[in-house]
Amino acid sequence: MSVQHPAPIPAQAGIGLRSHHFQDILDAPPPVAWMETHPENYFGEGGAPLRILERIRSRYPLSFHGVGLSLGSTDPIDHAHLHKLKGLIDRFEPALVSEHLSWSSVGGRFFNDLLPLPSTAESLDHICARIDEIQTILQRPLLIENITRYLTWRDSPIPEGSFMAEAVNRTGCGILLDLNNVYVNAVNFHLDPFEFLDAIPPEAVQEIHLAGFDRYGRMLIDTHGQPVYPEVWGLYEWAIRHIGPRPTLIEWDTNMPPLAVLVEQATQADAILGGCHAAAL
Amino acid sequence: MLRLCDLQQAFAEAIVEGTYQTATAAMATDGMALRSVALYRGLIRNNFVQVLRITYPGLHRFVGACYFSVLARGYIKHYPSTSGDLFLYGRHLPAWLQRIEAPPLLVELARLEWACHEVYQAADSVPFPPDRFQAMASADPSRVTIQFHQTVRFLACSLPVHRVWQALQPDASPDVAIGPSLPEEQTGLLVVRSGGAVRVIPLGWLEYRLMEALSGGATVASIEQQAREAESGVDFTRLMTTLLQAQVIAGMSLKEGV
Repeated sequence: MSVQHPAPIPAQAGIGLRSHHFQDILDAPPPVAWMETHPENYFGEGGAPLRILERIRSRYPLSFHGVGLSLGSTDPIDHAHLHKLKGLIDRFEPALVSEHLSWSSVGGRFFNDLLPLPSTAESLDHICARIDEIQTILQRPLLIENITRYLTWRDSPIPEGSFMAEAVNRTGCGILLDLNNVYVNAVNFHLDPFEFLDAIPPEAVQEIHLAGFDRYGRMLIDTHGQPVYPEVWGLYEWAIRHIGPRPTLIEWDTNMPPLAVLVEQATQADAILGGCHAAAL
Repeated sequence: MLRLCDLQQAFAEAIVEGTYQTATAAMATDGMALRSVALYRGLIRNNFVQVLRITYPGLHRFVGACYFSVLARGYIKHYPSTSGDLFLYGRHLPAWLQRIEAPPLLVELARLEWACHEVYQAADSVPFPPDRFQAMASADPSRVTIQFHQTVRFLACSLPVHRVWQALQPDASPDVAIGPSLPEEQTGLLVVRSGGAVRVIPLGWLEYRLMEALSGGATVASIEQQAREAESGVDFTRLMTTLLQAQVIAGMSLKEGV
């Protein structure tokens, strides 16, 4: 495979790569700077998905966004899963590799969801040891993403932003800042989103996610099935001004729209990236 | 205060068993604990229903979203996921459908779709070189065996389920009617991948039995003899032509000690 973009992902907007859009992307590659995919979707040993990913990789820089490592689980790390991931990383050379600051399994049972950890000293020690082990095996730094949560653990004395900052400090990992998640948590639990944003080290943020949510009663649910909301665009402008331009992903997983909608959202993100950059000059 | 492993276990019990007292006691007293558990239970269940819907699209189309959701929820309860690799999830759905005595057509459709799912992501195959094939043609057929690619499955069904499967494909003609029942009829299917797409090729029952025997290590000579002796008659040349055209042969080798 000829890799045409081995360089880091630029501080521009990219889109999530989903099978729904494979054909459209192959027929007319969209004007976006990069693409991100869930590596677990390519865990098969062969077939069309891997061949399509090769074609897309030859044209775009790529980021891997894992969903299956169960980073915070107290079960042993699934080494079979980790080595499949390593094999894909070696093959496709993604510029960034990320996972969620959450857990998904216990007692050998997987929940296929991102569950919140209590922000305790024990959790911090545990997650840092796991990040260390994974980074050692993958031989590269991992980005950890802040998740949405729909509960609050009673014993969670460390503020979420400080928890992430300390994980970065101890392990050298980076941060994937999901601004939709920050907003959803802020609304659901009456939090100040800027408390979280002020607590994370700006230099550790290497990627930003933007997505949409749905409302269920009074709760906001992180469905990735809607355009980015104005309030989240507002947080994004603030983040770019204070953190600096970063690779930014338009994430869309349900209620999939035509590819053009994702491209339009990416263009909007690029305008903010460019505008803030120009203002800083 | 619970240790992290106990807290995760308690939350798992709340999600799986509905025994939520320990988990909710560890949550903030903001009046949301029970609602949170219910929300997570719903999200997790829906995620797995969605995974099964992707793996079994024909079954989903055939029974409709509501009944599929009922079936999927029953399956999820009995067969939890044991891996973060979701390609593996749903393997036991055909056996589970059989166990709950679902109509045979649903069982067979699920078996066929799981075979398609496996074939779709199986390791890529390298075509068997024609010169190697010609070289083996002069070998003693009583020692020649055939190996098949991983992109091939042989499936024996009690119904001609491929007719329903074909009619359920997105590109199928809308004029094709699908009845609720099919005649009982032993059917052999060859499930193969070519050009990235999965194809299902129906075979005569005896033809299927012979191909399956070949895939199990029977020699070419023994299959040729069985074809010759069959009362209904099987054209061995046609059988081999089918295999070659389907590009399912990975290799040929000489059996030792024959």
